[in-house]
Amino acid sequence: MLRSGALLAVGAATVPLTGCALFDRDEPSPPPDPLEPLADEARALAARHRAAIAADPGLADRLTPIAEAHTAHADELRRLIGRPGPSGPATPAPSAGEGTRSALLAGLRTAEQSGRDNAAKACAAAPGDRAALLGSIAAARATHLEALK
Amino acid sequence: MNRRTAPATPGDALAGALAAEYAAIYAYGPIGVRLTDADRRAARTAEAAHRSRRDALVLQLSATGGTVPPDQAGYALPFPVTDRAAALRLAVQVEERTAAFWRAALPVTTGADRTRALNALTDCAVRATRWRRSAGLTPLTVPFPGSPT
Repeated sequence: MLRSGALLAVGAATVPLTGCALFDRDEPSPPPDPLEPLADEARALAARHRAAIAADPGLADRLTPIAEAHTAHADELRRLIGRPGPSGPATPAPSAGEGTRSALLAGLRTAEQSGRDNAAKACAAAPGDRAALLGSIAAARATHLEALK
Repeated sequence: MNRRTAPATPGDALAGALAAEYAAIYAYGPIGVRLTDADRRAARTAEAAHRSRRDALVLQLSATGGTVPPDQAGYALPFPVTDRAAALRLAVQVEERTAAFWRAALPVTTGADRTRALNALTDCAVRATRWRRSAGLTPLTVPFPGSPT
């Protein structure tokens, strides 16, 4: 008796969900562009550099051009994707605003390294008309890594 | 830097990259003469890197039956290299110009060829950043390495 009661309860709960999914949907949204994660990452990298500048204003001269480059990358990627991204500032990584200068720079280097690898992978997999931009972004992130040394 | 029309085939793109590598190797001669110590060692290392890209390109273009453009006896330098500052400025320009030819190879290549082109673009961009640092130029980076804009 207990067992069938539980099954009934589950069944009752699933009915409205199914109805919702089948009938209440608007137009199906287009599949996500494979560059979406890279555009989001560019935006997050910009935010991360801005947070580091806020935590240590002495780094502004060094990090501002890098933050601006990431924003320019995000804009170009969004233009290629052809759809606007989320608005408002990206949420910076919680660790971005803490620690000593060397810890801040080490955190940024790790983020740039991983960003560089992601952009290189995207460049390798992209159709020809996207490869040049993705290659420039991968190369730019490698130069950021150098500039953060 | 003046840009010609985008290459239409991998062979054209790689021939363009080879011509750029010849010119880079040539330029590091007068550059190295005006540098000392760590800068001169960096110039030698850069020249060796360009030589090995050149050798790989000659092999690759020969193996695929493509046209191997010949090296020239001399290349016009954009300005006279009379001192250290001019040498460093030229080194930055040489790397940026070579990066542009490798970037142009990305859209028309795939697989291992594209990966090689991206690695070459990235190496040129990172060396340009190092030369800017040696020259005391800021910012150390550009937003889109190899891009004509």
